[in-house]
Amino acid sequence: MWQFLSLGLLAELTVNGILFGAMYGVAAVGLSLIFGTMRIIFIAQGTIIILGAYLVYWLFTLGGIDPYLSLLLVVPAAFIAGAGVYQALFRKAAAISDKNTSLLIAVGLMFLVQNTMSYAWTPNPKSIVTGYTALGVEILNMRLSFTRLMSMVIAFAATGAVVVFLRRTLVGKAVRAASENMQAAMLMGIDPHRVNAIAFAIGFALAGAAGVALATTYPFDPYFGFVFALKALIALALGGIGNVVGALVGGLALGLIESYSAFFISGGWADAISYGVFLLVLMFRPEGLFVRSIKKA
Amino acid sequence: MRERITVYLGGVVVLGLAMVPFVPGAPDSYLFYFLFLFFLHTAIAQSWNLVAGFTGQISLGQHAFFGLGAYTTALIWQRQLFGESYGYYFDPLVLILSGLVAGIFALMVGFPLLAKLRGDYFALGTLGFGEIIRVAFVKGGQFTGGPFGIIMPSSVYETLRPHYWVGLALAGGLTYMIHRIRRSHFGLALISVRDDELAASSHGIDILKYKLIAFALGAVFTGIAGSLYGHYLFHVSPDGFLNLNWTLYPILMAVIGGSGTVLGPVVGAFAMTAVFTLASVSYPEIHPIFSGAVIILVMLFMPNGIMRLAKR
Amino acid sequence: MNPLLEIRNLAVAYGDVQALWDVSLNVEEGTIVSVLGANGAGKSTLMRTISGLMRPRSGEILFEGKVFSGKRPQQITAAGICHVPEGRGLFSQLTVQENLELGAYLPSVRGYFAQSLERVFELFPKLKERRHQQANSLSGGEQQMVAIGRAIMARPKLLILDEPSLGLSPIIVRQMFELIEALNRQGVTILIVEQNIRQALKIATRAYVLHTGRVAMEGRAEDLLANPEIQKAYMGTLD
Repeated sequence: MWQFLSLGLLAELTVNGILFGAMYGVAAVGLSLIFGTMRIIFIAQGTIIILGAYLVYWLFTLGGIDPYLSLLLVVPAAFIAGAGVYQALFRKAAAISDKNTSLLIAVGLMFLVQNTMSYAWTPNPKSIVTGYTALGVEILNMRLSFTRLMSMVIAFAATGAVVVFLRRTLVGKAVRAASENMQAAMLMGIDPHRVNAIAFAIGFALAGAAGVALATTYPFDPYFGFVFALKALIALALGGIGNVVGALVGGLALGLIESYSAFFISGGWADAISYGVFLLVLMFRPEGLFVRSIKKA
Repeated sequence: MRERITVYLGGVVVLGLAMVPFVPGAPDSYLFYFLFLFFLHTAIAQSWNLVAGFTGQISLGQHAFFGLGAYTTALIWQRQLFGESYGYYFDPLVLILSGLVAGIFALMVGFPLLAKLRGDYFALGTLGFGEIIRVAFVKGGQFTGGPFGIIMPSSVYETLRPHYWVGLALAGGLTYMIHRIRRSHFGLALISVRDDELAASSHGIDILKYKLIAFALGAVFTGIAGSLYGHYLFHVSPDGFLNLNWTLYPILMAVIGGSGTVLGPVVGAFAMTAVFTLASVSYPEIHPIFSGAVIILVMLFMPNGIMRLAKR
Repeated sequence: MNPLLEIRNLAVAYGDVQALWDVSLNVEEGTIVSVLGANGAGKSTLMRTISGLMRPRSGEILFEGKVFSGKRPQQITAAGICHVPEGRGLFSQLTVQENLELGAYLPSVRGYFAQSLERVFELFPKLKERRHQQANSLSGGEQQMVAIGRAIMARPKLLILDEPSLGLSPIIVRQMFELIEALNRQGVTILIVEQNIRQALKIATRAYVLHTGRVAMEGRAEDLLANPEIQKAYMGTLD
């Protein structure tokens, strides 16, 4: 195998890893936000991404709406849906100190959504084929698929938008404050339900964006969402739980790990290797790989 | 006093249930199958309860133990490890070995995880472990049968009676054991670990030891349950046995019934088995949708589980 | 005239464990009131109940004559009660300036943001220098300045300080008490919980002593300061 390994091949593995990793990253950013204020792993995140992908598929096949154009519909709709889901399902549970309730509601939501999708659209994988699906871009002797490149752009843009929101707006700062110390935030007059709802809304909006990115690049089925959520969880652990930029970087790292191990070892083992890395990180660097450990003052 | 009566009543119910297979026609009824599933679910829910309800550590790797148990049975049987003429079907030694293998894995992985990880991180760590096991069996080639798994000779099947009895013994025995543990020094130690780790450690309780024992015991029983289900399907595969549902189901059942209580997981297992089977009989195509909705509704309106609601 | 804050027969419990019994307390406008007592006497619980982080089991809390017990923290903060919790409750990953901005989070005080910020920087010139630093990179004294500055940003009528001198060096502690008096002179009513009993009594108008969840003693601060029993019970080791 080694004799085939050229610099070009290595570069291609790297680029592909980054492209797929960007999607894990977006999913992880959503998880990170919701974990920040709610202190639960929102296990349904991947399933919401798939729901976004179906929405894009549906708009495309029935309404003839271009997948990238549908971002303008899917993302705002997901944002509103996220706030609505929080108010309807999680508001009451958020006040309980036992987090199992919220976690199980998320599990129930995942069951409900993935099976509703399976019922509505059949469990068979779907994919979107447009005029530009086969397009490629030639960079440094590498052929990059246009749609994958676009997915990466969407991922970076979405994460960037969230970072700007968190750093530049007062509400964003309130979300960061609440993630760090909810009680102190409440003493500032910050409404916990408001920041929770915002975290959910943004988490869902990110899932919508990731849905567009996924639908245009890979075939998807209703049950893929759970695997996606697990991958996002690994990305989150790699980047450090509760760290938004770290989550994206963690996603990219996971994409690279998978891309390399699929090539050098074997496709099927890639999953086991990412879980193995995940375990090692949890055990030895629970604050994440890319965070300087800050001494508690 | 009231507790005594409950125990005696429980004993009578278990004895009554043990007689059911002798009722003519009963083993062929759907209700019989339902009860078998109920016992199986109770066993895995109680196993999870032993870890989470009493130590507060949430394991998300129960499917690995369930699968390990089933695969141990399948591998011993398929390879005829005890010779060709040995009766593998419902052999006590095979069942116990299946549980022990799961328990040994639990000890090996539980020691580093429990020593180093708390709360969410422990949950995620066990999830990672479970998925590694799943992938290992999928990629196990000849040895594990790969994604297809291992087929066992179903010609030995006569009735569901042995499955029913073993299931009942597992569920009843485990529930009684949890009742006894709750009363014992060991149980009080577990609960004190859950409620206040610092206080417990200052009182000289070796936290890690107790958590590890609970974790391994839960794995042993989950492994036996996996073996039992393997005896029913005669086909042990990653999809059927290392599926994450085997982690989600016990959690759902224990929490819906009331985790940390003795009877909660039993009630939860009964309720969820009823919901699952009713839905799959009446509305097979929307059964999981319905189940998802039930989970959400129960958590919204009975966040502490059915048993705790009844207490008030 | 009604007191600014009036607490009537308050009882509070954590689950089955009762922490406060029948506590009554008045804070007149413009005064400094100290709440004293040993660890676990229920001082922090009392403060947390006033600011809405905990709900009373029974009894009433009136602020400016209106009932506030059982309301949510954001409503209480909006009414003009600002609580600096024990351990300061800073957002350590946020910058100094971001912490101060969140102090003026509520729409009712956001309009005064620039003015309040100037006031805080005037009081604590050091914070102006360090405004873009992460809060956890500051020293303990500076962090306490951020906590009090953040409270000033909310333009409180009543400022609740829970153990502000905890973990600070004696010089910083003295500066802190001077600052508290200065704030009081500017018209802020102050309710302070302190381990540093002598200092707390020196600046206070009135004081309450809590003992295992009940008011054991109350009176004018100077009377309590002179009370031999208080001296024996709480100040013996401090001299």
